[in-house]
Amino acid sequence: MSNPSVSIALTGSGGAGVMTAGQMLLTAAARAGCYGLMSRSLGPQIRGGESAALLRLSTAPVDGPDDIFDLLLAFDWGNIDRFAAELPLNENSVVIYDPGQGPVPEVVREPGPRLVQVPLKEIAKGIPGGRENMVGLGLITTLIGLDAASLRQVIEERLGRKGAEAVDTSWQAVEAGAEAATVDGLPRLDQASPAAPGSRWQISGNDAVGLGALRGGVRFVAAYPITPATEILEWMAVNLPKVGGALVQCEDELASVCMALGGSYAGVPSMTATAGPGLALMTEAIGLGVASETPVVIANVMRGGPSTGIPTKSEQSDLNIACYGLHGDAPHIVTAPTSIADCVFTAQWTVYLAEALQCPAILLSDQAMGQAQAVIEKPAEVAFIGRRKVARPADLENYQRYRITADGISPVALPGMPGGQHTADGLEHAPSGTPSTQAAHHQEQLDKRRRKLDRFDYGDHWAIRAGDPEAELALITFGSLTGAARDAVTRCAEAGLPVRLIAPRLLLPVQVERLEAALAGATKLLIVEQNHEAQLRHLLAGHIRLPAVVDSLNRAGPLTIRPGEIVSALTTLAA
Amino acid sequence: MDTLGEFLVHAITLEDESAQRFDELADVMEVHHNSEVAGLFQRMAHYSRLHLADIKRQAEGKELPHIPPWELKWPDDEAPETVAHEEGHYLMTAYHALRAALRSERTGHAFYAGVARDTQDPEIRKLASEFAAEEAEHIALLEQWLLKYPPPREGWDEDLDPPAVVD
Amino acid sequence: MSAIDADTAAPVLKASDYKSDVKPVWCPGCGDFSVLSAITKALAELGIPPHEAVVASGIGCSSRIPAYTTVYGFHSVHGRALPVASGIKLARPELTVLAAGGDGDGFSIGGNHFIHACRRNVDMTYIVMDNAVYGMTKGQASPTTEPDWTASKLTPDGPGISAFQPLEMALSAGAQFIARGFTANPNTLAHLICQAIRHPGFSLVQVLSPCITYRPEQRAYKNRVHQHFGHPEPATDRREAFARLMDDDGFSLGVLYKGSQPVYQPAPAPSATPEEVAAQFAIC
Repeated sequence: MSNPSVSIALTGSGGAGVMTAGQMLLTAAARAGCYGLMSRSLGPQIRGGESAALLRLSTAPVDGPDDIFDLLLAFDWGNIDRFAAELPLNENSVVIYDPGQGPVPEVVREPGPRLVQVPLKEIAKGIPGGRENMVGLGLITTLIGLDAASLRQVIEERLGRKGAEAVDTSWQAVEAGAEAATVDGLPRLDQASPAAPGSRWQISGNDAVGLGALRGGVRFVAAYPITPATEILEWMAVNLPKVGGALVQCEDELASVCMALGGSYAGVPSMTATAGPGLALMTEAIGLGVASETPVVIANVMRGGPSTGIPTKSEQSDLNIACYGLHGDAPHIVTAPTSIADCVFTAQWTVYLAEALQCPAILLSDQAMGQAQAVIEKPAEVAFIGRRKVARPADLENYQRYRITADGISPVALPGMPGGQHTADGLEHAPSGTPSTQAAHHQEQLDKRRRKLDRFDYGDHWAIRAGDPEAELALITFGSLTGAARDAVTRCAEAGLPVRLIAPRLLLPVQVERLEAALAGATKLLIVEQNHEAQLRHLLAGHIRLPAVVDSLNRAGPLTIRPGEIVSALTTLAA
Repeated sequence: MDTLGEFLVHAITLEDESAQRFDELADVMEVHHNSEVAGLFQRMAHYSRLHLADIKRQAEGKELPHIPPWELKWPDDEAPETVAHEEGHYLMTAYHALRAALRSERTGHAFYAGVARDTQDPEIRKLASEFAAEEAEHIALLEQWLLKYPPPREGWDEDLDPPAVVD
Repeated sequence: MSAIDADTAAPVLKASDYKSDVKPVWCPGCGDFSVLSAITKALAELGIPPHEAVVASGIGCSSRIPAYTTVYGFHSVHGRALPVASGIKLARPELTVLAAGGDGDGFSIGGNHFIHACRRNVDMTYIVMDNAVYGMTKGQASPTTEPDWTASKLTPDGPGISAFQPLEMALSAGAQFIARGFTANPNTLAHLICQAIRHPGFSLVQVLSPCITYRPEQRAYKNRVHQHFGHPEPATDRREAFARLMDDDGFSLGVLYKGSQPVYQPAPAPSATPEEVAAQFAIC
C-alpha cells in the first residue's frame, strides 16, 4: 500500500446519526491535515432508513475507495443484508458493534473479521444527553490516532449555536468513547500534519460540478429535481444569485432543458442537471441544441438504470445514451470528470467547450462521486470561461446565422444586436437559417457541425494519464473509477508490473488520434467500467484501433470496482 | 371623418394595406405554384401602389395624425380594399382573383362614397369624391377584364393529390 | 418592456418592417396570415425595435411564424415553445418575448408547459393559433377538436373526448391576461396582442384561426363569433371571469380577464466573485 489510509464504515438505522458522525469525522480528519473521501449508502426510506457512511482517510489525497474496510462500526444491524455487499471485510478488519443490538449477522461474521463488543448505547446513556454517534466518534478518532483537538473544533462549530452545554455533553460522549478504544492494529494517521488554512477544500462532487459551471460562466440554470443530481441544482440555487445568475425550477425535464436552451439562445451560458430518466426525456431537445447550434450543459449524474433503476446507487450506464441517445446525426460533446476534485475543472471546461463550439455538452458524473464528500487540495483556478464567437459588425451585414466557415463555427448574433435577427431552427436550414430540405444544405450543415468538433483543439485536457506511458499493458477507465484505477496502477508498479492508465475526460467526440497515440505500443488493454454491457469498450471499439488483446472488467452498480480487483485483472491479463 | 389629416391617413392605409395584401396573395400563390394568379395579384399590388403614391403626393406637407390600426374608422375590421386571406385558394383561377379584387374595389368605392356623402368638410368631400370616382374606374376596368375570364367549370378545386405531410 | 404609449406615439417602424422576405408555406386562405399581420402591427404600434423582440415557437403550421418576422426567433421542438420562451425572458428580462404556435403544440404535447407557464407568470405573451386540428400531419383531431368530428382517419368515429378549454385552463392556472381573437378581425387582433404584450405577466391570446384545408367548415366561424364575454370590460376578478366563461360558447371575442398578480422574474444582484463563492469549501 502506497498511501497509509484507513477505511471506515459507520452503519446504523435512522436516528443513530451515522451520516452526521461521518461528516464530522471527515471534517475532523481534514482539520488534522488528512485527506479523505466519504460516500454514503442509503436505504429507500425517506426517514429512519438504514444508512452507511463509508470513509477513507489518508495522509495523501484519495480519489476512490480501498479494497476492504479496516473498521466497521455498527450502531445496529438494521437491514445490514441489503448493503453488506458494499462493505467488504476480511480477517484484518475490525468490527465494533453494540452487543445490545443482537448477534453479529452471518454476512458480517463470514469473512472472519475481529469482532469487538462496545456497548455504545449504554455508554451514551451514562452521559445525560449523550448520543451514541458521539461515543462512536471518540472511539474511532482514538483508534486511528486522529488529533482530538480537531474533533473538538468540529464539535464546537457544529453544536456551538446550541450552547456550551451541548458541546460539553458531546465532548463527554467523545471522551467516553475514547476510553472504550481498546483495540489495536488499525492503520493510524498520527503523522498527518495540518495544512495551511484554506489550502484544502471539503467538497462533494455535485457541489464541485456546480462550482465549476459557475466558474465557467453559467448564469442561468433550469432545474428539475432528480436523485442523485439534485444537490448540483440546490447548490446553484443558493450560489448562482451571488454572482448575478438565476435558477428556476421547472415542471419537468422537457421544460428544464428547453428553458436552458432559451436562456442560452438569449446569450447567457446555461445549464441543467439530471440523471438517467431525465436525460432520456431531454434527448429530443439536446438534438435541437445540436441542430440550432445552441450551447447548453447537461450535467448527468449516473445512477442504476434502466428505467427508475436504483436511484440512490452509482452506475456508469448512461454512457450509451449520452453518446448515442440523440436522433439523427448529432455530433455533440460528452465529458466525464475523473474525481471529485476534477469535477470542478471538468465542469468548467465543459461550459467552455459548449460555448466555444456552440454545441450541447453532456457531463457524465456518477452517484459515487456526486454524492460523496472529499477533502482535496484547493483546485487551481483555470482560465476557461465560456465565450461564444459572437457576431461582429462585419458579420451582421447580410447576416447568416449558419454561415459555412472553415472551422465550422459560425458567429452568433444575440438578441439585442441590431441586424443579427435570425430564427434558430431545429429544422434543417440554409446558412441563413431558413428551413431547407435541399440535400446540399443538409450535407453542408452536417459537415460543419461535425467539423467544428473535429477541428477544435482540446489540448491535453482530453484525458488524465498516469503510470508508465511506455508500458505494454494499458488500462482505460472513466469517471469515478479513475481513483481506483490509479491506485491499481501504483500497486502494479510497486509489484513490478508497469501499466499505462488513460482516463478520458472527453468521451465524445472520441479522440481517435490521441487515444491511438496514447495506446501506441501497448499490446494488451484492460477496460474498466461500472456497467453491465461494457459500454465504454463498445464506444472505443467502434472508433479506434485497440491493442490485439482486450479484456473488460465491467460490473453493474452498486458494487464499486475496487483497486484490488483491477490489480487482479491486470495481473491476469499480463500473464 | 373630422379632419383632412384623418381622412388622408385612412386613404393611405387603405391603399397601402391593399397593396401589401396583394403582395402576400401573390407570394402564397407563387409558393403554391399558381403563377397565373400570382402574376395577377402582383399587377393588382402594382396598381394599388400607383394609387398610394398618388394619395401620398396629395398628402405632402399636411399633418397626418397617428392612428392605431384598430382605431381606424373602417366599416369592418380590415381596410375596405383589402382582399381577405380567406378568399385565397391554391387552385383559384384568374376569374376568382379578379372577382375578389372586384369585391375589394367595390367596398373601397363604397367607403369613399360614404365619406363624401357624410363629411361636413368640403376639402374631404372633394378628395373622397375624387377617390370614389377613381375606384369606379377600377371597377369598370375589372368588369371589362372579367369578361375575358369566364367562371371555371365546376370541380375547379378538385385536387387529385392529397394534402402533404410537412413537419 | 418599452414604455411607449401605443395610443399616442407615432411608430418609427411600419408593420411591414416586421415581416421578413421568407414566403410562408401556409395554405392560401389560412388564418395564420392574419396573425402574422396582427403581430407585426402590434410590434410596430409598440415601437419595439425588431432586434429587441423574440418569438419562440414549437412545431406545426403556425409554429413556422418566427421566420416570417424580422425579429429574433427560435423555432424549437414540438410542444416546447413556452419553456424556450420562458428561458429567453428569464435570462434577458429586457427583451420582449412572444411564444406562438398551434393548439396541438400548446395544449396537447405542450399542455403541461402551458399550465405551468400560466402559473409561473413570466412576463410574456403566448399566441395560440387554434384551428382544432393537426395540419402538418394531415388533419388529425387536436385537443380542441369537437368530440364528434369524424373527418380524421385516426379517429374515424370522432375523438370522443371533451374538447380542451384553453381559457378555463389559463384562468385556473394563473394567467394574468386572457383574450380570444379571430383571424377575420386582424386589426382587433393586433389590439389584443398589443394589450397582451403590455400587460405584465403571462398573457394568453387564443386566436380562432380557420384551417381551410382540413376544417373548411371553419369558414363559418365568422357567422358564429360575437363581441365580448358578456360584458365589454374585462373581468379583473377571477370569480367573475369564471362565471363569464361558463356562459362562453367558444366564440366570444375580446379580453376575458386582466389580473394583477406579481410577475415572476428573478433579479439577482451580484454580491460576490466566483472565487469568493468558492471560499465556502475551504477548510480553515
